[in-house]
Amino acid sequence: MKHIVKILSLVIAITALWVGLLQTSIIPQSHTWLLPIYFVVSLGCYGLLMVGVGLMNFPTCPQEALLLQKDIVEAKEYLKQRGVDVSTS
Amino acid sequence: MELADRAVGFLLSFISLSIFTYYTFWVIILPFVDDDHFVHKYFLPQEYAILIPVSAGVALICLLCIFIGFVMLKSKKKKA
Repeated sequence: MKHIVKILSLVIAITALWVGLLQTSIIPQSHTWLLPIYFVVSLGCYGLLMVGVGLMNFPTCPQEALLLQKDIVEAKEYLKQRGVDVSTS
Repeated sequence: MELADRAVGFLLSFISLSIFTYYTFWVIILPFVDDDHFVHKYFLPQEYAILIPVSAGVALICLLCIFIGFVMLKSKKKKA
């Protein structure tokens, strides 16, 4: 409930700011009408940019991958000795 | 495989940056440019600056609702 109230108050504050900008014409009026759409589009763009940047800097750790493969082989041998079926299916 | 990841990440960020600069130019800078400048050739008329994002958002919401309805129907059919 508190979360919804917080989000609603944020939306109301932004709407009040926009209406205030419309009334007092600090920015030319035609620009003020397009501001909400512009901000939504730029927010989507920013999210996409963060995803792209995160993808580019993703760490892969090749040594850990090799160690993991060795661990898997060891575990398979161990379990086969004890009679557990570990075929890949 | 990390090269493919890096390529996809670079492509995504390039697309997002180009969309951002094109849209900023369209909405903010173009109204201040005189009407017979050659730059106006490269940009669609200003109504499309509102139409395209709004229609894309509506299409996204419709697809979301269809997907949710589909999943709900499938789960109900499996239970019955």
